[in-house]
Amino acid sequence: MTRRVFALGTGRLAVGILVFIGLLAVLGPYLAPHDPLASSTTTLAGSSWKHWLGTDYLGRDVSSRLLAGSRTSVLGSVEVALVALVVGVVPGLLSVYLGRVFEWTSLRLADTLIALPFLVFAVAVTALLGNGITQAMLVVGVLVSPLFFRVSRAATLAVARSQYVEAALISGASIGWVVRRHVWVKVLPAIAVALAQTIGVGFIVVSSLSFLGIGVQPPAPTWGGLLASDLNYLHFQPYAPIAPAALIMATVWGCNLLADAIRDVSGENGRALVNTRKARANGARLLPVESRTG
Amino acid sequence: MTLSATLGYAPSRPSFGLIRVRRAVTRTAFTLGRSIAIFVPVFLLGTFVTFALRSISGLSPARITLGEDATPEAVHRIEHHWGLDRPFLSQYWSWFDDVLHGNLGRSWSNGADVSRLIGDGLAISLSVATLALVIGIVFGFGLGTLAAVRRTTWIDRTITAVLTVFAVMPPFVVGIVLVGVFAVGLNWFPSAGYVPFAAGASPWFAHLLLPALALSFDTVADVARQLRAGLIGAYQENYVTGAVVRGLSDRRIFFRHVLRNGAGPALTVLGLKFPALIGGSVVTEWIFGLQGFGRFANDSAQAGDVPSVQGVLVVSIVLVVTFNLVVNIVLGKVTPASQRGV
Repeated sequence: MTRRVFALGTGRLAVGILVFIGLLAVLGPYLAPHDPLASSTTTLAGSSWKHWLGTDYLGRDVSSRLLAGSRTSVLGSVEVALVALVVGVVPGLLSVYLGRVFEWTSLRLADTLIALPFLVFAVAVTALLGNGITQAMLVVGVLVSPLFFRVSRAATLAVARSQYVEAALISGASIGWVVRRHVWVKVLPAIAVALAQTIGVGFIVVSSLSFLGIGVQPPAPTWGGLLASDLNYLHFQPYAPIAPAALIMATVWGCNLLADAIRDVSGENGRALVNTRKARANGARLLPVESRTG
Repeated sequence: MTLSATLGYAPSRPSFGLIRVRRAVTRTAFTLGRSIAIFVPVFLLGTFVTFALRSISGLSPARITLGEDATPEAVHRIEHHWGLDRPFLSQYWSWFDDVLHGNLGRSWSNGADVSRLIGDGLAISLSVATLALVIGIVFGFGLGTLAAVRRTTWIDRTITAVLTVFAVMPPFVVGIVLVGVFAVGLNWFPSAGYVPFAAGASPWFAHLLLPALALSFDTVADVARQLRAGLIGAYQENYVTGAVVRGLSDRRIFFRHVLRNGAGPALTVLGLKFPALIGGSVVTEWIFGLQGFGRFANDSAQAGDVPSVQGVLVVSIVLVVTFNLVVNIVLGKVTPASQRGV
């Protein structure tokens, strides 16, 4: 499947963007030409050879802050996706097999979590439980996990009712074998799509939180925090928000592209694509009914 | 649609009309019942988690009013005053009872009634969210329909490209761009603040438009893309080919067959967008200096004002569930197939 993603132009572009952002996160703090926390007397300067992107209201080098701030945002969004994956996928698989009580409870729980506006909740929980980005992302990850729950459940339901799985069960295969052999293969692309999507969502949430100054201590640079300070000095530096905004948008775009590319190569053709999309949108809402009939 | 058909047939075929009315009522009641069955456990669990937040956080009103270096006696007196020395479940029960009566308690910071504080903010936030929703529906459905009807032409490609850009712009980025262009650069709109409707409709609208636009980008993009996909899918169905063969007009095919069957996913997405609008208000109200619900949530969370935060969470759960209920009923009316559990 990896090879087929790379065969698509959008797939290569997506991977390229994400690798670039990933490298920024790993190497950014070392590449920064200046100390991101060192202030100077040249405040709110335009771009120059010494300061590529100018300086902020305390005279700190913006390009260094941008490079140094990449790690928090990227790590945070990956954490959201991994937490959601761990919390969501296994109950999604089990909800098909473990009987009606577990099925009903897990579906209600997924409904509860999805009903919570997660930015409000992330703000509330982070501020109340201590000012750390890790706690914040843990909460957001749990709140986003219904996406994985639904995706893995829908894929499992579809496979579990197919004729070849019935045939395998009749000829004596165990459910564990069926899950490993048949279900897992079908669930995996769906999970990969959801993973790319959640990293994008997580990235927006981390940036929003750091924009509000929640989850990071003030002098530490983040992309969201850079935007927040740019907003106050928009009169003096109208073009300052472009660089951090472009990086945030590029990251989210890369995630969306990757999700689309994986979806494209795992669906059979354009027609199937439209129908699965439709089925997913209906399925998301109708899962309670589905559980009653099946 | 059902109603007009009923009225049209009622004089000549009374029994048929009656059955249709009864069916429509039953369907709505069924949706309502199912949504309430979902709402009750969601509400119970949500409020319980919300209430448990205080115990987990270990925050106390004494820290806000007395500061860090208070004597243990003073702390105890204040905690007793707020009823925090009682057992957890009894505290939960009295709080829950108050919530059911619409009383969300008093703020730790200033002792004001949380319900009233939230109510004040909610008027602003709901105006912004409603405007954002209207923009999202109008432009989302407009662009999505245009792209689907003119599919595979340059119009479709342009719209898709614009929507891709819209989809990757978080509300705070859109907000900063809007402030930079329209408030600072062109000076067309005020950059921050709020004017109540009583002070005049046009300044009120001018203060709401930019925040609403900032919130709506995401909704426009998602609704339009889902609608485009749904409509193109519906255009490929056999009944549309059948309608073309029977010589029905394009307009009739679109409104009677394609739109009703293809709009389901877009409406579902619209229902799921409401939490995002409430969540986004936390950020947009900070940018545009609105003293709304989101700003209140942010301020009280940062101040450690637990009753206010609990009130915010309870109100947002109720809002989201109510909105989903409305969307489900509309969905049942517009696309009957979605109710059959296909």
